[in-house]
This record gives sequence, structure tokens and C-alpha cells, in this order.
Amino acid sequence: MVVVIDPHSGVPVFRQLRDQIRFQIVSGMLATGEELPSTRALSAELGLNPMTISKAYSRLEMEGLLEKRPGLCLVVRELDPEDIDTRRVAQFRDSAKPVAAVARQLGLPREEAMRIFAEMLDGNSRGKREERG
Amino acid sequence: MRSAFELDNVTKKFGNATALDGVTLSIPERAIVGLIGRNGSGKTTLLHHVVGLQLPTSGRCTTLGRPTEMLGSEELSRIGVVWQEGRFLDWMSVDQHIRYVSSFYEGWDVVREQSLVTRLELDRKAKVGALSPGNAQKLGIVLAVCHHPKLLLLDEPMSALDPISREHVLAFLLELLHEDGATTVISSHVMRDIESIVEWIICLDRGRVTVDSPLDTPQDRYNEWVVTSEQPIATDFEEPWVLSQRTNEHKAHLLVRDAADRVEWFETKYHVDVQSQPMNLERIFPLLHQHNA
Repeated sequence: MVVVIDPHSGVPVFRQLRDQIRFQIVSGMLATGEELPSTRALSAELGLNPMTISKAYSRLEMEGLLEKRPGLCLVVRELDPEDIDTRRVAQFRDSAKPVAAVARQLGLPREEAMRIFAEMLDGNSRGKREERG
Repeated sequence: MRSAFELDNVTKKFGNATALDGVTLSIPERAIVGLIGRNGSGKTTLLHHVVGLQLPTSGRCTTLGRPTEMLGSEELSRIGVVWQEGRFLDWMSVDQHIRYVSSFYEGWDVVREQSLVTRLELDRKAKVGALSPGNAQKLGIVLAVCHHPKLLLLDEPMSALDPISREHVLAFLLELLHEDGATTVISSHVMRDIESIVEWIICLDRGRVTVDSPLDTPQDRYNEWVVTSEQPIATDFEEPWVLSQRTNEHKAHLLVRDAADRVEWFETKYHVDVQSQPMNLERIFPLLHQHNA
């Protein structure tokens, strides 16, 4: 599991951690049943207070994304596909909101903004195809 | 949860000057606490009270379960302190000084000592009096932690350290928490130094406690809003939770408190777009003083 934390960004560190792990679970980068590093190991790796790590873990447990296994290790819970879809949409909505605000602030016509966005969605996948081909 | 130390309505006066003014605190065991405040805000005086170097004019201090006027070697041998101005025997070599201090403690951990001296790249043969301020701070840290203290007080411990040594020290403090379950208090006016490892902050301003909360709380409470509008922004925003504002024709920068749920309401009221951005401790710090949050 790779997470990147910026302790000076002003976003509480436990929240950065929680959001990144949540993203990895919802996007499937962390698979069902996968074991998370122990609080202590992650604390040492990231140079963070262990309390911060357990706070992030316990929030994710409360959200139903993680569960404790016998022996107290934490693993990614099995989620039903509908739940994953809901979370995926919510995640995207959050990320897209500032982009929409910028478009409004720039006074970009709606059609123009949509066209650019569509182009970017296609552009990336086209780029990949070209790389492969 | 048991507390490592407590101050109960402690006031300390030096003549007419009040260094601590009705301070009440309780630090739980195994916490890493950041003690922040401007120069002269009372941080060092507070730490002096924790170890009984100074006694309160009124109020009570209790450390490791004992009133501080009665602290004996049993308690003191479980405390480690790094003072801002290291007090060393300048004529000794680094190695002699470490041996000298170690002779006072039964449980001195030579393995930890060696590992720290290596990691912090201290030269054992160097004369203590000739050490740079940074190396003197490193020596102070080695001397304070090799007896496995249960309570570690660090007064501006990293002010003279380069970024790499600082990383080493921060990583080591986390190890200390794991291995010894040590309660650690780090005083600093450089927020960046401590932001990654403290979970709790205490803010002192002119001898008074202005913040005593998890680190997340001020981060959650204070935000910067970038407000934009197609119409000219004419008004000064009068909401009491707007702490400061800079406005030009179509754009305003606001510093706000406890306003996370007010974004949409604000957008509707003033016909504006709001982008709420987080603020780090360094930027929140002045607000904690101005507004006594």
C-alpha cells in the first residue's frame, strides 16, 4: 500500500490517510481480504504518530470498509457492488467539484467545458492505445 | 487514562510579571504533545514547573503522581529533559560527558546510546565546548533518553538541527513511544518541526492556555475561503466567524472559523462561489493568539 502524506498541508493527517486508503479500496487497488500494515509498521514507515494511524483505521472500520480478523489484523472487507458504485460516484463528485468551480470562475461556456472534459476522458485512453499499438 | 503530569490552576509570578496565569492542564500517558507559543509566552516556565525546578506561586503541580515539591530520585530518574540552552561541562569530550551522565542512572542503555550517536553523527572525541549549536542539541538529546524515561520534555529541541538530523530525531521519538511508552512534550515555535508527530497541542499566550486540544481540531476549525463572483463584491462580510478579509472587485480572501457547514448558505446569500482551503498550523498560529480560540 502506497500512501503519500503531507503533514503541512493543513488537512488533518488522519483524514489524508483515510481518504487515500478509501480511494484505493473503492478503486480496487486494494483487493478484498487484503491485509493492511500494522499501526506500528505504518507509523514507522510514514513517520507519523501511531494514534493518527489508528484514528484513520478506526474511521474506515466504522465506514464498513475494513474489518478486524482474528489476531487483530485489519483487512479490506467484502463490499457489495452497489455500495462500491455509490462510493465511486461520491468520490468523483468530490473531486470534480473544484474543477466545476474553476470553469464557472473563468466564465467558460458550458459546452466548451464539457467538450474539454470529454476530450480529456477520451484522450487518455487513446494515448494508451497508441502506446500499446 | 492516567496522566503523566497535571497543573491545577497554576500561577507563577516573578515580581510584578506573571509568567503563568491560572494554567490548568492534564497530559495523559503515552501522548506526544506539542507545546507552542511565541517567545516569552511561558513555555519554558511551564516545563520548569513540571520537573519541580520552579514551584508555583499558587496552584498545584503533580508529575508522575507526585506533587512537584516532593519529587525525588525515583520520579526524576524516569524523566528526561532537553533544555533549549544546553547546560554542559564544556571541558569534557562528548564521550566523557556521556559516560559522566550515564553514571547517574542504573538503567543506562548503551545500545541505544551507540545507535543514537551513530545516527546523529556525533563525534565522541570532540570537545563539548567546541560543538556547534546543532551538535550540542544532539548531545542533549542523547543524554536525555538513554535511561528510558517515561516522561520526556524537549524545549525547542530542534531549533538548530538541519532537516536530516531533524528527521532522525522525529523518527527516534516515535520509536521511544513504541519502546518505552514515553509521554513526550515538545515545545516549539516552529510548527513545521512538530506537525507530523504530535497528536495534541497546547498553545500558550502570555502565560495563559489558549488551546488544549487534538491537533486536528484547529485544522478542522480554521479555513481559508477564496470567494469569487461575477458581480463586483461590494460589501465587507459582517459574519462574526469571518476573522479577516481582503477584498478586491471580484475576489475575496477570507479566514474563517467553524464555517465548514456554511459554504452553501454563504454562496446563496452573496451570489458567490466559495472554495474552502485548509490551513496548516503555521498559518493558524497567529489566529490562535488574536482570537483566543
